Amino acid sequence: MDWLNAVVQGLLLGGLYALFATGLSLMFGVMRVVNLAHGDLAVVASFLAVAIISGTGLPLWFVLCVTTPLFALLGYLTQRVLLQRSLSAGPMSTLVVTFGLSIVIQNVLLEVFSADTRTLDGGSFATGSFEISGQLSIPYLSLATFVLAVVVLVAIQLFLSRTGLGRMLRASSDDPDTATLVGADSRHVYGIATAIAFATVALAGVMMAMRSSFDPATGPSRLLFAFEAVVIGGLGSLWGTLLGGMVLGLTQSIGAQIDPALTILGGHLVFLVVLAFRPQGLLPGRTA
Amino acid sequence: MSHPPISRRGLLKGAGLGAAAVGSLPLLDACGGLKGSSSSSSDVLRIGYVSPQTGALAGFAAADNFIVKQINQAVRNGVTIGGKKRKFEIVVKDTQSSPNRATEVTRELINDGVDLIVGSSTPDTTNPVADQCEANGIPNVTTIAPWEAWYFGRGAKPGEGFTYTTLFFFGMEQFGDCFFPMWERIGASSKDVACLWPNDTDANAFRDGLGAMMKKTGYNPIDGGAYEDGSTDFTAQMTKFKNSDAELFTCTPIPPDFQTFWKQAQQQGFRPKLATVAKVMLFPTEAEALGPLSKNIATDIWWSPAHPYKSVLDGTTAKQLADGYAADTGKQWTQALGSIYSLFEVGIQALKGADDPKDKDEVAKNLREMSLSCMSGDLDFTAGPEQGIAIQHPVGGQWREGKDFPWDVVIVDNTPNPDVPVGGDLQPTNA
Repeated sequence: MDWLNAVVQGLLLGGLYALFATGLSLMFGVMRVVNLAHGDLAVVASFLAVAIISGTGLPLWFVLCVTTPLFALLGYLTQRVLLQRSLSAGPMSTLVVTFGLSIVIQNVLLEVFSADTRTLDGGSFATGSFEISGQLSIPYLSLATFVLAVVVLVAIQLFLSRTGLGRMLRASSDDPDTATLVGADSRHVYGIATAIAFATVALAGVMMAMRSSFDPATGPSRLLFAFEAVVIGGLGSLWGTLLGGMVLGLTQSIGAQIDPALTILGGHLVFLVVLAFRPQGLLPGRTA
Repeated sequence: MSHPPISRRGLLKGAGLGAAAVGSLPLLDACGGLKGSSSSSSDVLRIGYVSPQTGALAGFAAADNFIVKQINQAVRNGVTIGGKKRKFEIVVKDTQSSPNRATEVTRELINDGVDLIVGSSTPDTTNPVADQCEANGIPNVTTIAPWEAWYFGRGAKPGEGFTYTTLFFFGMEQFGDCFFPMWERIGASSKDVACLWPNDTDANAFRDGLGAMMKKTGYNPIDGGAYEDGSTDFTAQMTKFKNSDAELFTCTPIPPDFQTFWKQAQQQGFRPKLATVAKVMLFPTEAEALGPLSKNIATDIWWSPAHPYKSVLDGTTAKQLADGYAADTGKQWTQALGSIYSLFEVGIQALKGADDPKDKDEVAKNLREMSLSCMSGDLDFTAGPEQGIAIQHPVGGQWREGKDFPWDVVIVDNTPNPDVPVGGDLQPTNA
């Protein structure tokens, strides 16, 4: 029963990792941009949610409805104003730009919100659970996060495969020059991709804020888990990201069950093994 | 090209060459220590203060500006020492929560010729600051770090103390003195204690120190295992704790991990009868962040407005200091308020008691032999476990809904220090 509990909690945790990693995976898949500010953006969303809730007392679902589109807009603007310029200058320059963005975000957060540790009070939703038995309980929050992750991934996948804009997005990802020749505005298309990525980061940030706590310096350590989930699953593959997140969550949880010292190390080891023996990831993206 | 690097490095190291290159510093001896200062500045005694004002540890330093203002106010008329009227000047430096930066700013202070350095908050600050002061022969007192971490962490051997550096705080034994009576009183059905101790310096000290003390007094530590700081899931620890039926809980995690753990404990049905935590829940902001789950979590309280102590400088009581802080900044008191205030009391007292306050050796001797009733209670640096350490005795307090602020500490057990009045009954964390 202990092991079953470890597996269940691990899979649910994997949902959070997957939700968080989606944006990173999407931006890499479409633009080949490794967004080093990804973790910090999630922390921004966390702070924003806390600020809105403590300032206005609005309910949580409403905050999610505000934060997510706001981040989507922010993503579109970031792409058009900041990232597009660096894209043409090669991969190194986007890496440096996002790294700079990460540092700027951390320090702005420190200036505005101070170094205090915060959490988002989700009330009984954040602390309650379905108690299956004394040893096995499924927290509402983890379950909701997992469901949200699956819904988001399915929605993005459907968007990419079924809609015109989605097809254009894939075309721009495969060959931006040819896509532009046949009428796709790759800059706009990239903006849309970044907007989606930022929206998922906002969702993940709010979920994480309820699950644990955060301060302005939390971002980089979060980024590591997202990065591992993406690499384990396969760079640029959305289903791979879901799988990668779950493998990471499961490894950490089972590792902890064997010995708590193995929790994070276990995840790192799986990451290393995948990098060494299957660098394309478990479910590699179709576009190489 | 060779000159700028030499002068810069020299300045940082406080070496003679650097001083010569810069030209504005007083002569330095071969060891790099400062010998006296120019006569024009001898009427002013300068106290350097090093603390983490930004970064992860910034919570400890939230009251810094207020305290410096209070101290400046208290000694504004100066003091006659050695037949001469002296003024005090406080120079504040920020470590940005980094031990390397703490070393750097302490060196800057030493190069600037301060007469004494005080420092506070966690071994990441106290140890590098004290190391620099010891090496350069600058009298120093620090606080808010377990004495074992400060003493053994700096490579001292039992019986061979430091000459220039001193500390007031407490150690593992006082944690035990504080927690055990509460465990005894809460009426748990077993002597098992669930222990959440990660794999870091603080927690390993608890695992070895408090763990051994627990076994000696008949308690049985259920160690959740040496997990890594920054874990996102505590299912494994929770499972172990639940299987053991432990009703008592103690921990030494980093603050963000405690928030995660305590929420998950609620989700997964680990509800200990009494939680006595160390290192976390020291600040009201942590209690606010945790919300209703903070209720009746017990922790060690070494200073509160309820402590019957007053300033040796101007007679301000603990209550007045906390109220003054709230009135001045709109913020709630923290335990650091009293400790940092006392740093300056101890420092100024050591300078006052010297025939020549510029004589570093004499001031250091005063520090080592100090016995003082101040904002932090009776501090006796001669009676500590090692030379130059004064021991405080924290009492047990629980977080409850407050009147002026959302959460406040109520003193519930004063067994280790009966001077502190009890403000309420000990209540189960989870009934």
